[in-house]
Amino acid sequence: MISSQRRDAPGGHICWSYDDPESLADQADRHLAASLAAGERFWYVTPRPSDVVAERLRTRPDFATAERRGAAAVVPLLSTYSLDHAVDPAAQVAAYSSATDEALAAGHTGLRVVAEATELVRTPTQLDVFTRYEHLIDRYMRTRPFKAMCAYHRPKLGDRAIAELACMHPQTNVEDLLFHLYAVAPTDGHAALAGELDMSNHELFRTALDRADLRPVDGELVLSADNLRFLDHRTLAHLAEYAQRRGATAVLRTPRPAVARLADLLHLPGIRVEVTQ
Amino acid sequence: MRTGAAATHHGYYHEAVRYDCDDELLAVAVPFLLGGVDAGEPTFVALGERTGGLVRAALPAGAGVEFLPGGDLYSRPAATIRFYRQLLAEQVAAGAGQIRIIGEVSPTSFGATWDWWARYESAINHAYDDFPLWSMCAYDTRITPPQVLADVARTHPRFATPDGRHVPSPTWTPPADYLRQPLPVVPDPLQARPPAVELTDPTAAEARAAVHKADHGQVPVDDVEDLVVAVSEIVTNAVRHGRPPVRLRVWAGDDRIVTTVSDGGDGPGDPFCGLLPASDGAPGGLGLWITYQSCNHVTWQRDGDGFTLRMTAGNPYTG
Repeated sequence: MISSQRRDAPGGHICWSYDDPESLADQADRHLAASLAAGERFWYVTPRPSDVVAERLRTRPDFATAERRGAAAVVPLLSTYSLDHAVDPAAQVAAYSSATDEALAAGHTGLRVVAEATELVRTPTQLDVFTRYEHLIDRYMRTRPFKAMCAYHRPKLGDRAIAELACMHPQTNVEDLLFHLYAVAPTDGHAALAGELDMSNHELFRTALDRADLRPVDGELVLSADNLRFLDHRTLAHLAEYAQRRGATAVLRTPRPAVARLADLLHLPGIRVEVTQ
Repeated sequence: MRTGAAATHHGYYHEAVRYDCDDELLAVAVPFLLGGVDAGEPTFVALGERTGGLVRAALPAGAGVEFLPGGDLYSRPAATIRFYRQLLAEQVAAGAGQIRIIGEVSPTSFGATWDWWARYESAINHAYDDFPLWSMCAYDTRITPPQVLADVARTHPRFATPDGRHVPSPTWTPPADYLRQPLPVVPDPLQARPPAVELTDPTAAEARAAVHKADHGQVPVDDVEDLVVAVSEIVTNAVRHGRPPVRLRVWAGDDRIVTTVSDGGDGPGDPFCGLLPASDGAPGGLGLWITYQSCNHVTWQRDGDGFTLRMTAGNPYTG
């Protein structure tokens, strides 16, 4: 038994699925206000600088004031993401890392972005690359003062693509999503697993885990599962297999002894369950 | 190299002992156990407290017989099989030519939970047949109901008698046949009431939530969590392999939670389903085996409407 403080899902990286652009504009307003109150630099990143959200932001006096002093901006999508519309995950993380450093150098407490990223995930290939990027940037956010709300237009993408994106974020407004796989601070292992994992989302989970591309350290892949509510035998077997393929043992840290009993029952090589308190 | 009555037998030599008085039990058990020790065979006793004490007292001090905790060992049949298969594999790996065990199903299991022990007694003819095991299952005829004794006769190929004989059971029925026959399932009185939750075609997540809803702290947390695992597996099986509609019902009693999952299909085709992990990857086999390890009672029933599996956490109704 190891003891660990129970943590909630980290804030700061949200997947926002929307049908109505006005509802996205409401969210952007909310994030602008929170960002300015926290002394951050705020960016609204969009493919169309004249979209509903950008227009509404520009009508706000606080946005205009902040824009003049470099604390807020509407940034064209293509100036932050690569031109061919399939992002290079590492380069994109580096770009936001520089932007965060610049915000800090300019005296802000960090950088917060609301990004309308629908156009970057329109094809299966784009979606695959971008979800990998989502995990990398999530990892960056655990150590640096960078926050993002990634907005996706559901009618254009469909529920499946939205689920593939949302499950790679610690927070989302997607209601029927059962699990999340997200990054943790380096001291807490390789990733966190939250929610419920069963047959209904097994394939989605496999896809998410492949995209997270977790790299073992000292022969272990440590998954923090403080907020795990349920996990079935298929998921346990898959985690064990995933870790073994990477030459490692999966270490699942969860407060739920039922998971440990299940692992004992299955005698799976490649996984160890540690029950936390 | 095997010795005694099972000397020329291959695999599992399964016997029942029906005794009318304690002396009859000892007349069978003591020579059986000492014969094992004399032959250098690993020899075990897995009897309850009273009968185990009788045997212990009748054996010479330091006889070399190992006593297992009989009561705990016989709480869930699938777990009992898992324990014994592991024990037997270890003994064989250590070089045992034969292993001898005398054990007994707890008399508290002779009521409404007997059905899954009857399935156990039948299934082990197959489950332990990989090992050179000679075992005796003891039944005290003074406290064993006639219908239980009838099942004992059908599930044991032979009887060991106090006068040293090994007599074939006239009603012995091979497990593949016995396990395909419907066993009477005693309804839990809770089932006469309206269920606390009733759902048609639930998702596994909705089924798990329904079990949590019926949890008022009347059952240990671990048992509730294990029931959640079981119900999730069974609803998943019913949706994937059964026929709609799938119905989930949950009853909350003072000391237990009872859940039934039914569908319009025929249920699993493998007669050993639940008691053994499906070795051939039969649909849903692993989920059903996990269910049997996770609940304090599991029953299954086929009728004109389809297949129903009932799972109990907490203290099952014993009748």
